[in-house]
Amino acid sequence: MMEGVRRAVAKFLKGGGVYEKAVDAFLRDLQRELIKADVNVKLVLSVTRSIRERALKEEPPPGVTRRDWMIKIVYEELVKLFGGEQEPQVEPPKTPWVILLVGVQGSGKTTTAGKLAYYYVRRGYKVGLVSSDTHRPGAYEQLKRLAEEAGAMFYGEKEGDPADIARRGLEELLQRGAEVVIVDTAGRHGHGEEAKLLEEMRAIASKVRPDEVALVIDASIGQKAMSLAERFHKSTPIGSIIITKMDGTARGGGALTAAAVTGARIKFIGTGETLSELEPFAPRRFVARILGMGDL
Amino acid sequence: MFGRLREALNRASEHIARGIIDTLAYREIKPEDLQPLLDDILLDLVESDVALEAAEAIVAGVREELVGSRIRRGEPVERVVREALRKALLALLDPGPRPDLAGEARARCGGRPLVILFLGVNGTGKTTTIAKVAYMLRKAGVTPVIAAADTFRAGAQEQLAAHAEKIGVPIVRGRYGADPASVAYDAIKHAQSRGFCAVLVDTAGRMHVDSNLVEELRKIVRVSNPDYKILVVDSLTGNDAVEQARLFNEAVGVDGVIVTKVDADPKGGTLVSVAHAIRKPILYLGTGQGYEDLEPFDPQKTVNRLLE
Repeated sequence: MMEGVRRAVAKFLKGGGVYEKAVDAFLRDLQRELIKADVNVKLVLSVTRSIRERALKEEPPPGVTRRDWMIKIVYEELVKLFGGEQEPQVEPPKTPWVILLVGVQGSGKTTTAGKLAYYYVRRGYKVGLVSSDTHRPGAYEQLKRLAEEAGAMFYGEKEGDPADIARRGLEELLQRGAEVVIVDTAGRHGHGEEAKLLEEMRAIASKVRPDEVALVIDASIGQKAMSLAERFHKSTPIGSIIITKMDGTARGGGALTAAAVTGARIKFIGTGETLSELEPFAPRRFVARILGMGDL
Repeated sequence: MFGRLREALNRASEHIARGIIDTLAYREIKPEDLQPLLDDILLDLVESDVALEAAEAIVAGVREELVGSRIRRGEPVERVVREALRKALLALLDPGPRPDLAGEARARCGGRPLVILFLGVNGTGKTTTIAKVAYMLRKAGVTPVIAAADTFRAGAQEQLAAHAEKIGVPIVRGRYGADPASVAYDAIKHAQSRGFCAVLVDTAGRMHVDSNLVEELRKIVRVSNPDYKILVVDSLTGNDAVEQARLFNEAVGVDGVIVTKVDADPKGGTLVSVAHAIRKPILYLGTGQGYEDLEPFDPQKTVNRLLE
């Protein structure tokens, strides 16, 4: 991922010449790579501006070269961009814990619901899945089959009011002893007529009162990521973000910076189609990998 | 004798005079006139989700065309640049005539049906798009057979079967885990023996970098020998649109593109990225979840929206 950034870092560290010129050349390379990775253009410009200011102002501590110090600044600013130092908390702070999944059509909500169920089942929780998607044909069957595969309980109805279905599902699964309940919803993007669906999502949220609303985003999403995240955030404030399809060639920059708008944490990334392909997201490791610094 | 000399002199002075008038009336576009404008345009394109690579190629083309060319004094460079950009975008998005699927299918009735294969990465909307195309063909009087060759994703068979029933078109299903190529083959046989004129083949979503699944796709192509291989791309896609289009095109060849979820408000940059990557026509745009929500692609409209 982002091999170009790695090459730019290597060039900057090995290259000679005037420091200021090298910084500018490096920042141009970095801008290109971030834009290619779909990071929002305005964020790219603002992050490279703050890197430049720090790089020209800050004096490195004794024994450290200016160029090494500059890369440290880049690392810190990118970690900030991608969510900060802290590792996300994936363990539910209390039980029962109710997660509502939201997102655009085809972003991978239903598969992610199955993966999350599998993730928590393996960590010893009793997990239940609720299908409230009455729009997409086959959604019910899909989640039912994933629940079986993951070893989770299932509740769903193919027709009816999604908010009532979600409410009934939650009640029944809690009665059956579920500690983590994951509610899958229909895909929507919240523009034009879809605004009605955002309304529906708000209705579901008000009936199930989730402990966490997770926005599921496709890694390949482009510059629209920010405004979409904003739209979702307005109707049900987002607690966390899950980025899917990180196994393709997409670099996930659009999804990563969606976090910047909502202030939500990126919690998991999906790296394949099978249930086990979900891992917690750690910004520091991610940035270290981008910069070619190995796992720090 | 003098008459001819006078004429020649007249011609020469006229020539010189026109030269002087020309240098007064026109001026040459210099690179430094263009650069700031082109930088702005590049960022605008990128913010409209045109992949960086495509945006740079377009801007470079505009620069090459305009540097050294002459414009009328007083004419703003900006207008000339925008006109050149409009032309470049239009040429990219409108590479030639688009096929008339219903007409071609009708011409096949009685013989081997027109086979259309749909491919793309996961979640772009292949299955829903097939339902829309089936609906469109049926309305045009050529009912197609749908081949549910996604035998992998949970719920895929049920999803397509529910659509087929609603639209009223026949479907050939496969068991989960069954060989998708054989489902496509069965559907073509079925269509041929029952006199249907078209077959629409759904395939499982796959990452373009997954070599096993791409191999499986090649097998489906070998067995079903489609007339059209249509790539389905999500319009929310950013820079990855270029990779997707290029890799699928290299793997099995792409004849046309359908871009989905255009109603989610992107300006159309993804269409430009795809067109730049593979130079194949864009056929339709998906603009909603209903069966009617499939619009023939209008290059002019997209260019207008991009340049708004």
